[in-house]
Amino acid sequence: MLLEIENLVVRYGSIEALHGVSFTVDEGEVVTLIGANGAGKTTTLLSICRLPPPEAPRVAEGDIRFAGRSILAVEPHDVVRALKMALVPEGRRIFGNLTVEENLELATYARRGDPGVVKDLERVFQLFPRLRERRRQRSESLSGGEQQMLAVGRALMTGCRVLLLDEPSMGLAPVLKYEMFRALKRLNQEGVTILLVEQNAALALKFAHRGYVLDTGRIVAEGPTDHLLSNEEVKRAYLGG
Amino acid sequence: MSSQPTSVAVRPDGTAARPTAFQRWSVPALTLAGLAVLLWVGQSGALTKYTQTVIMFMAVNVIVSASLNLVNGYMGEFSCGHGGFMAVGAYVSSVLGVLLFAKDRVFGPPLLPPEWALVGFPLIVLVGGLAAALAGLLVAIPSFRTRGDYLAIITIAANYIVISAVENLDVIGGSRGFMGMKRVVKAMGRAWDLPWMLLWSFGFAVFTLWILRRFVYSTYGKGVMAICQDEVAAEIMSVNTNRMKVAAFMLSSGLAGVAGGLFAHIVGYVNPGSFGILKSTEALVMVYLGGMGSLSGSVLSAVLFTLLLEALRPLQIIKWIVVPLLLILLMQFRPEGILGNRELADVFPGLRRFFRFK
Repeated sequence: MLLEIENLVVRYGSIEALHGVSFTVDEGEVVTLIGANGAGKTTTLLSICRLPPPEAPRVAEGDIRFAGRSILAVEPHDVVRALKMALVPEGRRIFGNLTVEENLELATYARRGDPGVVKDLERVFQLFPRLRERRRQRSESLSGGEQQMLAVGRALMTGCRVLLLDEPSMGLAPVLKYEMFRALKRLNQEGVTILLVEQNAALALKFAHRGYVLDTGRIVAEGPTDHLLSNEEVKRAYLGG
Repeated sequence: MSSQPTSVAVRPDGTAARPTAFQRWSVPALTLAGLAVLLWVGQSGALTKYTQTVIMFMAVNVIVSASLNLVNGYMGEFSCGHGGFMAVGAYVSSVLGVLLFAKDRVFGPPLLPPEWALVGFPLIVLVGGLAAALAGLLVAIPSFRTRGDYLAIITIAANYIVISAVENLDVIGGSRGFMGMKRVVKAMGRAWDLPWMLLWSFGFAVFTLWILRRFVYSTYGKGVMAICQDEVAAEIMSVNTNRMKVAAFMLSSGLAGVAGGLFAHIVGYVNPGSFGILKSTEALVMVYLGGMGSLSGSVLSAVLFTLLLEALRPLQIIKWIVVPLLLILLMQFRPEGILGNRELADVFPGLRRFFRFK
């Protein structure tokens, strides 16, 4: 297993946000974590990225393992550098003051002088031609969809092999949504492992190989996505029918 | 400090055209021309000693404002203890200079032949800068967990720590101050009769701008701007924010130390009072006057501000009513400063044809 989350318990102060969540992600897979608001999806992702409080609470119990080794003591910047896992955060959090190109350049911070940077940039521009057109623009002037593309492109520029996506479809027009997921599919075919957190359960389940349903800090259903799509409970609660 | 211009790597479409010979050499040529003019000014006596001193103060202020701009402008922290780091640089280089190259009542005869000051002077200024960079850790380490107003208070505290420490060190004169640097400067002049202080002030100012420019335009230095905008996003983009803060604070305070060393040797006398909160305020005014995150703005404002201070000299103490008033007016009518966060070449794109400065 590439990534194993075992019995993860985290607390914000006295409030327990995750009550023992376990799931796995294998190399090359697309795994999705779906659930309603406040289910603990984002908390799970931020914990995997090892962000310190107050962004993510400390892990109270359980373990997060990458390729068999616990990563609880790893610094957030080393999650990107050494483990090659990159987060596309909720709300994008791009550097609005900088141009598109500078945002992408910044992501290569840990691999300065790596000749692969040029190739990766070309790959990002091919994936999202819109970014090439706008590469000299300040990124805060981009539309929401373009900013999301930039957030994904920026994560790719770190040279990551695992992409952690937090609500990439949020606030996107339907056309852009499909464009985004087409791009993600292509990345997965190129070998990038994807862990996707989504509220748009229908879209996520159609895209992923396996899924986990998170409800108020617990995994309540799991399995291959075609099973989940036909599961009556899941249908009623998350797919609106 | 690694600052290879790897940013060029992010230009697959070849838009970063190779600079023409003119663009490549215009800045070094201008620097040499500047040195030549200063040499002539110093030797011919075309300008009075007073005017020369003002020019040197301009250079010192350019270093002060540009280096503070790294922290306050590019990194978005609010450091208001720049004077303290100048004090460290000023005292360390002064004491070293007097110890090594001049006869002194306290320190006795010079340890080295005074003529060596010719080579030794830039070195002692740099050592002063190094000491100030270490003092910068006083601020850098608290900045790991604190930002904004609280960090600002810590920087003021750091300023006071330095000043009180100096005031209580009787060996270096305590609050009476320390002198003897004129003898070091004279020793240089005796070895080779050139206007050394003019040349070195200008040289160090150009050096400061060059190093800061390389820093903020490198991929490594972009980490500073990332911290300014969103520390969490910086971390998930693999920026080690703590290391980056240490680098930025140390570079900034180190350069302030260089400015302090030059200042001490220009005036020939230092006392802790001249590096207090008033000095730090001057530095802040220059940064905000020029524009945060603009090196050319810092240069512009340092020059204007030095001239302004000289022009207001007849007002004496009233000057310190006029200067803060200017700051208030500035914040009211042009809060982004002269250039905002743009460089001169962004305001006048035509300039790009003539130079590259990286």
